[in-house]
Amino acid sequence: MTNIVEIENLTKSYGKNRGVINVSLEIKEGDIFGFLGPNGAGKSTTIRSMLGLLKINSGSIKILGLDSVKDHEEILKNVGYMPSEAWFYDSMKVKDVIKYAADVRGIDCSQEAEKLCERLKVDWNKKIKQLSYGNRKKVSIVCAMQHRPKLFIFDEPTGGLDPLMQKTFFDLVNEYVDDGATCLLSTHVLTEVNKYCRHAAIMREGRLTMLDSVDIDDETFLKFYEDGVEE
Amino acid sequence: MKHILYRELKLNLKTFLIWSISVGAIGLICILLYQSMEGDMKDMADMFSNMGAFSDAFGMSTLSIATLSGYFATEVGTVHGLGSGMYAAILAADIISKEEDKHSGEFLFTLPVSRSKVLTAKGICVAIMLVLFTIICAIFYVSGFWYLGEELPTSEFVTFMLRQLLMNIEIAAICFAISALSGKSKMGMGLGITLFFYVYDLMGRVVPDLKDYLFIGPYSYANASEIFSGIEVSASGLILAVCVSICATICAYVIFGKRDLAS
Repeated sequence: MTNIVEIENLTKSYGKNRGVINVSLEIKEGDIFGFLGPNGAGKSTTIRSMLGLLKINSGSIKILGLDSVKDHEEILKNVGYMPSEAWFYDSMKVKDVIKYAADVRGIDCSQEAEKLCERLKVDWNKKIKQLSYGNRKKVSIVCAMQHRPKLFIFDEPTGGLDPLMQKTFFDLVNEYVDDGATCLLSTHVLTEVNKYCRHAAIMREGRLTMLDSVDIDDETFLKFYEDGVEE
Repeated sequence: MKHILYRELKLNLKTFLIWSISVGAIGLICILLYQSMEGDMKDMADMFSNMGAFSDAFGMSTLSIATLSGYFATEVGTVHGLGSGMYAAILAADIISKEEDKHSGEFLFTLPVSRSKVLTAKGICVAIMLVLFTIICAIFYVSGFWYLGEELPTSEFVTFMLRQLLMNIEIAAICFAISALSGKSKMGMGLGITLFFYVYDLMGRVVPDLKDYLFIGPYSYANASEIFSGIEVSASGLILAVCVSICATICAYVIFGKRDLAS
């Protein structure tokens, strides 16, 4: 199995504040990788460094065999990212946002977008400002999936989604992964990791620990949080 | 990149229409008011031209407001100078920072397009808006001359509008660089900079010690009274404007390319 994500000794700080320290991580093709950790542990910092939103201090990140700094644009062509907060342009309609994301990618995703909107029950004639948090999340899912990327990066994707939509979301993830995609799932929900992930790691105070198994119990899981730092 | 440009144009269209039509219409109303005031203008022109520093600051010592050209230069020149400068500032000061301020940056900057291409699209949008702003205002002003049946001093008018456009571009470039610096909206700072430049120019025309440094401010080479009086503008002001615009734009690219983006 080839490595889709290879992070070596990633260190990122915000001035004097700690971000992540010496993080090394590998995610194999076809994996659904769970990324756990308390608030402020460094999960989003790692993800945002992978996407080039943050400039790293040291270490290296390779995604799909490409360097995250030099091949930034090429990597993003094959990545579908869903941030924890789904924000778009308030005055735009849902269908315009979805089409805009596809247009910037330079591909026609209309069929896939239509299918996703149907399954996620997205009303695409509404304006973004009319949408609830959960509905904005659904638009974000469509934008992340419509181009059928090789790597999905989801940052707390199910927050705001009702149970039925959470199930639909994971059904979709599984379908894309069965078709050859890989998924990095950052979450606070242990059951999501137990149920859907094949491998997992936990971050605490900027450092990463690989978990031997995704089948961890609540008590062990909460232990990681008890000594964690708050944002 | 063209899709980002198109979206920026669309998102900024409403503000553009409000500002261009407002500034143009105010200028047009000023021109149309000339006819009703024409009879009283002679006495007023004599009085305004003999008010010392005040007359110097507003160009009324070199131009007579009893003529439509003089009236246009002193009245509409001020309205357009301030209005267009403020529009350039609010347009450029927000165009980059709004992505982080309104949290849409994580959507835009994770699409497969480099930061420099996004900045290029936004920069082109600012340039297009400023050119269109100048054209729309010019149409309003020309309509005023045409309605009153007065001859338009074409050469001076074109020079005035082009220099105002350069002044707008200089202010916009400075604000563009400021916008790249931070993830928070800097619209207030942009407006403050425009007003500072305007006051600096007024002060420079009144205070003798400042006259040698007048060229530093963007309003120096775009002064309507000087242009309509045929006074040659020093090349240093124009050269500095081009240099400042280029440097500020380069700074925007360098700074924005290196910094972390807020979520």
